[in-house]
Amino acid sequence: MDTRQLIEDTASKIFTDHCDKALLDRCEQGDFAEDLWQQIIANGFHQLGDAASGTTPADIFAFLKVCGRFAVPLPMAELLLGHSWAVAQLAPCEGLVSIGRQHGKQAIQVPWGRRAQRVFGVAENSQVVCVADAPVCVQEGSNMAAEARDTIELGPDTQQITLSDDPFAQMALARTNLMAGTLQSTLDLGLQFAAEREQFGRSISKFQAIQHSLAVVAAEVAAAQRAADAGVDALGTDRFIAEVAASKARVGEAVGIVAEQVHQVHGAMGFTHEHRLHHFTRRLWAWRDEWGNETHWQRVLGARIAGLGADQAWGFIATRG
Amino acid sequence: MMLQFDRVELDSESDALRHHVREFIADNKDHLPQPNSDFVTGHDAEFSRKLGAKGWIGMTWPAQYGGGEKSNFARLVVTEELLAAGAPVSAHWIADRQSGPLLLRFGTEQQRQQYLPGIASGESYFSIGMSEPDTGSDLASVRTTATAEGDAYRINGTKIWTTDAHRNHYMICLVRTEAATENRHAGLSQIIVDLKNDGAQVRPIANMAGGEDFNEVVFDNVLVPKDRVVGEPGNGWAQVTSELAYERSGPERFLSAYRVFVELVRICGGEPTPEQSAAIGRIASHFMTLRRMSISVAGMLEQGKDVVVEAALVKELGNNFEKLLPEIARTVAPDLSLENPDAQRLFRQTFEETMLLSPSFTLRGGTREILRGVIARGLGLR
Repeated sequence: MDTRQLIEDTASKIFTDHCDKALLDRCEQGDFAEDLWQQIIANGFHQLGDAASGTTPADIFAFLKVCGRFAVPLPMAELLLGHSWAVAQLAPCEGLVSIGRQHGKQAIQVPWGRRAQRVFGVAENSQVVCVADAPVCVQEGSNMAAEARDTIELGPDTQQITLSDDPFAQMALARTNLMAGTLQSTLDLGLQFAAEREQFGRSISKFQAIQHSLAVVAAEVAAAQRAADAGVDALGTDRFIAEVAASKARVGEAVGIVAEQVHQVHGAMGFTHEHRLHHFTRRLWAWRDEWGNETHWQRVLGARIAGLGADQAWGFIATRG
Repeated sequence: MMLQFDRVELDSESDALRHHVREFIADNKDHLPQPNSDFVTGHDAEFSRKLGAKGWIGMTWPAQYGGGEKSNFARLVVTEELLAAGAPVSAHWIADRQSGPLLLRFGTEQQRQQYLPGIASGESYFSIGMSEPDTGSDLASVRTTATAEGDAYRINGTKIWTTDAHRNHYMICLVRTEAATENRHAGLSQIIVDLKNDGAQVRPIANMAGGEDFNEVVFDNVLVPKDRVVGEPGNGWAQVTSELAYERSGPERFLSAYRVFVELVRICGGEPTPEQSAAIGRIASHFMTLRRMSISVAGMLEQGKDVVVEAALVKELGNNFEKLLPEIARTVAPDLSLENPDAQRLFRQTFEETMLLSPSFTLRGGTREILRGVIARGLGLR
């Protein structure tokens, strides 16, 4: 078994055992998933992407896809990318690491910023990120999935480090892979519900209208998986920003279609708080707007192609990988 | 339900081949007066013969039948380059993509030797004889009969929507060789008809885009020799369903509107508005994703895997997108570009032609409704 498969299988097992609906409900009330956090640390997942652990940066994103499948209520993207950015540039941080968008002296929309011991501030179009090791939470907040998103005062003693792959695009790619995993779970929930729910004396999965809705969902989910992988494959290349742009724009477009169709298939049941579907769809709706929505990234990609010109567009699209 | 579209990287040989195809296209610009990426428009026998001479038709077939023994990836590189450039490929397209592989897989040795070299040299063209006036998506309901009479079959019935039957040499016809029973899929056969010599009557049907590409083909007691049955009599259903899988995942399933994109980029210029940039980027994000999915399917074909569901997913996404593309383009294209009248004219011409062809994108090769059914079966819903 290769390393990637081992990471995915181990993560799936931990999340199956430790990340259920009850935990997601508690975290929405403000709890921090301490037990799950300890499991992740105990299994060494916080070291993913560090060459010393025998893993690559691409493994981080593969792991985030699995986190997305289980709607893991922890800032895993921020922890793992934050660690990977710190390697060889900063002293290690044993506590929670998070990342937000830099806004003057503040970092905003910082996942679990209130508990973070190190916070990075990331600005668009800059390879330099700001690091604060004594961050102060000035306002607690949340996104539409009730995930903690706080405002952090970075303080006077910040450091700056320079990264080779654009940090804003790395964050967008993290959301893209989380969404790809979550999209897969919404398809699975739709298939399961359609098989179990009976109306007019038969399973609703036997109705052509439902079959076609789920076929549309499957097509979007398949496209999202491939698009998310393509962004990861561009790490370390000069196409990184353009590929992430295509990736987040395409996956964001899939989110709108999939969430709409899967909710329709679930009927009123999927609209209740009791059903777990909303833990996935609300995250999808939140994440597609974080770190640049579809329009933002479409413009980035479109400007790049317009700069190349009409007759060079195909050469840009027709890559080897 | 995991739908797997593996990462596949084309090898360095593909770069050389791609470069070679681009040079060839640049040297043959006189064959591309109005570039159009729709694989059905542009019937140019001379261009097809030139491609055949290059070894770019029947690329994956064994050398003994005129093939190039290349990979599915090499074929994909050639086909996507030709379509993106808007080259006229319709003469040999069906023979190369579909009829040739069908004969290679199911045909008799004599049929392979007789038909494949002519296809590979770009000189022999085939049409598909599936639909009938009363048979569309419900393909098993075909009524055209072929009745055995000594060394021949006597064919009676009508085929319709037969693309290029008035220009092509042969047509592989799905016919009923035995009376229908409770098993609707039994008793069907595929039979090769010589469109120039067997006496079938071919009548062009004008389409709404102003083209005369498709036809009605009437069989009134047409006699064909028995050795024209492809493979085993009665095996038609199994053959026809495997044939349809070949035609569903290639680049022609998402590139039909590509030239509209090119002309949109041209007319928007080097400093597009934010809305124009977003439109260009949105279209590109779909192309980049679909192309990678199509390459994944080529990889599965290369490994001999069953790709029925994956190919249907690519076609479903690709056909919807190639209809969406002109819709996105028209809303951001400058209404009147006085500075650049040539680009304005090219955009309008390409847009209008593609818009008029677009209803066919989700009909040909299996309608959207049929494909969603195929996908639903793959998902275990039926």
